[in-house]
Amino acid sequence: MLVVPSFLPGPFAYASGAGTGHPTARRMTDSAASEPPEDRSRIDGELLRRIARRDRTAFAELYDRFSRPLYATALRILNDARESEDIVQEVFLALWEKAAVFEQERGSAFSWAVTLTRNRAIDRIRQRKRRTELLSASSPADLGYADAGGGDDSAEALVFKEKAGAVRAAVAGLPAEQQRALQLAFFSGLTQQEISEKLGEPLGTVKARIRRGLLRLRETLSRRT
Amino acid sequence: MIDERTEEFAALHAFDLLEGAEKVAFEARLAGDPKLQALVRELRESASALAFSAPVAAPGSGLKARLLEQISGSSQAGSGAKLLPFRLPTLIPWAVAASLAVLAAWLGQNLLATRADADALRLESRLAQLAQRDAENRLAAERIILGQEVRNSGQQLADARQQLADTANQIVAVNQHAAEIAQQLKTQADLAQFKIATLSSMLGNSPQALAVAVWNPARQEGLLTVEKLPALAKDQDYQLWVVDPKYKDPVNGGVFSVDPDGVARVQFKPDQPITSVVKFAVTRERKGGVAKAEGPFVLLSQ
Repeated sequence: MLVVPSFLPGPFAYASGAGTGHPTARRMTDSAASEPPEDRSRIDGELLRRIARRDRTAFAELYDRFSRPLYATALRILNDARESEDIVQEVFLALWEKAAVFEQERGSAFSWAVTLTRNRAIDRIRQRKRRTELLSASSPADLGYADAGGGDDSAEALVFKEKAGAVRAAVAGLPAEQQRALQLAFFSGLTQQEISEKLGEPLGTVKARIRRGLLRLRETLSRRT
Repeated sequence: MIDERTEEFAALHAFDLLEGAEKVAFEARLAGDPKLQALVRELRESASALAFSAPVAAPGSGLKARLLEQISGSSQAGSGAKLLPFRLPTLIPWAVAASLAVLAAWLGQNLLATRADADALRLESRLAQLAQRDAENRLAAERIILGQEVRNSGQQLADARQQLADTANQIVAVNQHAAEIAQQLKTQADLAQFKIATLSSMLGNSPQALAVAVWNPARQEGLLTVEKLPALAKDQDYQLWVVDPKYKDPVNGGVFSVDPDGVARVQFKPDQPITSVVKFAVTRERKGGVAKAEGPFVLLSQ
């Protein structure tokens, strides 16, 4: 059985309906915090199916749910607000165009959207940087959790922060070397070998840390459901 | 049961860190393993959760509007415009301004549409590149695997041929060995049937004369070796006789002479088939021998 962490897809909690006026969006906003975890993935999938039928309201609703974590991911990878917005824009256009090919059995809509975002951001950073610059730009020391969006007190922002806090707590519970391996694997755009060189550890050790870290993260997050 | 190495591949796959043949091989296994598919889904969901570990940030407020405009394909401009009374002199500057505004709006809209088209084209291009790269990787991996299989098959065929040749050689060697053993057995059997007899002198003037006769009943022939037998006159020969109870008289084994040292070594073959040898005898006869012994006995076996 697929284990979907309780905060996933977190953007359920961000849904505000603002700007759409759609009653469904408003209802989801009000109930976002209390949405049963098992419903979240299903609702996202339903929104994608409506988007496949060219439902703009569903598109706006999905934007409210996904845009923050996707943008935060792109920004963490690219460290450039304008480029990160471009990436998010590309991803939502891709969701609009490709919603019909989405298969819920292969993973959640949120996971799909994160993968699209991450791949595009990494492609872009690889295009714009030489490999040596890429290596130096992904310092493990730069893995702090300094918030950049502290001034936004909207309901969506607050829920986002709450979910982010939960994930960070789970990550913080991992041994430091596993945290570093996972962060580099997810945000750096480096290959296995490059991560190994960056950490100064044998490739086999790095692979083992990624495996153990991810399995433990899965276990920790699933306990929250 | 999924082993640690497979879990490792699944974790790397969740971060899209597998490459080349490793990736193709894992995806091939993944396609046929529902349990592994479930693990990969869970790990990818967990990996996606790391999106929340990025510093909190939100896109600009205009992005949503731009997106909605892009997907709508057209704006609803001008739907709520008010109609004003026509006052030509005073409205000319306004008309110019309005025209400029309309022009600006039109240009802006074209710009957005162009940007959307460019974004869509860029997206399609990137998807096509990814698909092409994936296909190339798959083809390369399949080519490598196929080449390896062909090489393996060729090697197996060569090994099988070599084994066949070795086996044939072994069969030839075994047959040859068996023939040698059979020959040895036959020789041993023949030797067992050989009759060896010592002939002693019957002459008073050469008591040291001695002869040995070896008889091979299978081949009906024998070998006679003589030493210290006196030389004969030119008109005389020694004659060998084989005594077989089957015949009334001894059977002629042939004539021979000795060298000045009294030595002779002759191969003999009796005139009649011999069933059983009782004795060998040597007589002194006239030159050329006789059909029935006439002269005195020179040697006689025990």
